[in-house]
Amino acid sequence: MKTKVWAFFLLFIVSCQGWAAVGCDLNDPDRDVKRLFPSSTGYKTAYQSIEKSGGQALLKEVEALLGDEFQGLYETIDVPYTIYTIYKGSDIIGYIHGINQKGVYGGLQVFLGVDHKGVITRFYYQKLTSKKAALMRENDFAQQFIGLSWEDFKSYLPKTHEGGSEKVKQIKNPNVDDAADFYSTLRAVKKNLILMQVFVFENKERAQ
Amino acid sequence: MNIFQVSSKNLLRRKLRTFFTVFGIMLSTWVLVTLLGFNKGYEQSLSNSIDGMGFQIVLTAKGCPYEAATLMLKGGTGLRYMPEDLVRDVASRPEVLQATAMLMHAEFDPNKGENGGTTVFLGVDPKTYPSMKPYLQFKQGAWFADDAKDEIVLGYEAAELEQREVGDLMILPGSEVEYKVVGILSRTGTQDDGMIYLPLTATQKVFKKEGELTMLGIRLKPSVDQNAFEESLYQLPDVQVVSMAQVKNTIMSLVSSAKAIVMSIAFIAFLIAMFGVLNTVLMSVFERFQEIGILKSMGALPKDIFKMILIETTLLCAIGGLFGIVIAYGFSGLSEAAIRYFLPFAPTGSLIIIDTFIVVFSFISITLIGLIGGIYPAWRASHIRPLDSIRSE
Repeated sequence: MKTKVWAFFLLFIVSCQGWAAVGCDLNDPDRDVKRLFPSSTGYKTAYQSIEKSGGQALLKEVEALLGDEFQGLYETIDVPYTIYTIYKGSDIIGYIHGINQKGVYGGLQVFLGVDHKGVITRFYYQKLTSKKAALMRENDFAQQFIGLSWEDFKSYLPKTHEGGSEKVKQIKNPNVDDAADFYSTLRAVKKNLILMQVFVFENKERAQ
Repeated sequence: MNIFQVSSKNLLRRKLRTFFTVFGIMLSTWVLVTLLGFNKGYEQSLSNSIDGMGFQIVLTAKGCPYEAATLMLKGGTGLRYMPEDLVRDVASRPEVLQATAMLMHAEFDPNKGENGGTTVFLGVDPKTYPSMKPYLQFKQGAWFADDAKDEIVLGYEAAELEQREVGDLMILPGSEVEYKVVGILSRTGTQDDGMIYLPLTATQKVFKKEGELTMLGIRLKPSVDQNAFEESLYQLPDVQVVSMAQVKNTIMSLVSSAKAIVMSIAFIAFLIAMFGVLNTVLMSVFERFQEIGILKSMGALPKDIFKMILIETTLLCAIGGLFGIVIAYGFSGLSEAAIRYFLPFAPTGSLIIIDTFIVVFSFISITLIGLIGGIYPAWRASHIRPLDSIRSE
């Protein structure tokens, strides 16, 4: 019996092939969707990538909107993004989308819940490695993002940490000792909102 | 003009039908060769993947296989440990060619998900581990310089999740000690891709497991009787011996069930070829009813007619079989890509291996099967009575 357990285990691990870039999915979509949108009755999952949606031209467009280049080994054109469309009955009440962002001590997974107009209703770190993680995960910090939208972040520049609407400028870093993860979070939020525009709202406009 | 020439001319007289019959046989052969190649390739890739794990025997604390499986699949905790002295004693036995001690540790990370999650770390000895896992290549950097250093090596997917590159820093859950990422492994398609490696001594220290280990990977000298060595390990208290040979046998016996299904599909390909040939040749015999009668009235013996029809069948099968083999060989890359697309899990390495045996076996068997399909039409043709056939419209 023990040999069989090992056999199944090893068959599983030697067979696993996952050459695609790692995306950013909710750990437990059923539970997380209900938590982020308590009034939801269901959701649909769609997978998008910059490569499939517009290729190199779209990458340039996204980088221009972001005001920063995609960097490093993992922020690549083929990263799959998972968009959760949230329903209440047959009506769409919002979307959930997360992205991976390089932090000081590890990857940040920043999820946003937005309503059908693209206004942030929930901010959620699914993963965060930081010496001050507890501060960053406090509700007060997350609340500062509620009500903001792409329009607020449009003029924010991740490279210089300047710009953005007054509301963006007022977001306070909970970690007074180090701002690196805070700025990474702002970049992640802006990138997340851009990709939501590209994958969801611009598609909707085109469809209309 | 000999019988062979007559048969070839007969086939060329009905080009379209000959083409479609050859095409049908070619498709059957393509399926047959691809399936046989897949059977061989899949088994070999799986076998290589298991052999590539680097250990002949793994020594763990009792109950560990279940815990390790749970840990990897469900994020469970509560691993059991073996005393380091016992492990070192086994590693230093004369039968052992190479051995590497490991400490697996699962640490709860409160900042993972809504309610926290488990992160698994593997403490390895940089002096012995790399040589036992030679397939682990680096995308960036190298193994730790020193067993006790605060350095980390990441599997490719772990690095991707943590967004780490060589030179970046990491902290372990619940700790503020900074570790420097010194190496990122290339993708292997195995569990190593998701692993976070730390130097063994540092792992023992940081997780307060001094003097404890979870696994010992062993490779024996070629002359050593593995069964006798395993028996000696069973005498040790509270340890579990996992032989990769046993595991491999069990996996292969699981795979053999799938092979039986593949072989039954191959058998259907045989039947399609056989009935295709039977149908075509029988139709051809009926169409040439009068012609065969005239041949017999001119002195052709039943055995000549039998031979003529059988040669036609052989030609059809041989040409179709040959084209099928060429197509199967030429499109094996495409077939493999399709299999990989549809299979949820596939081992690394070539999934379709078409060797000389498969080529020769497929050619002979498809020709033989076609011949069997041609016997009845040939028998019917050889028994046509000349007068009856000439009288018929």
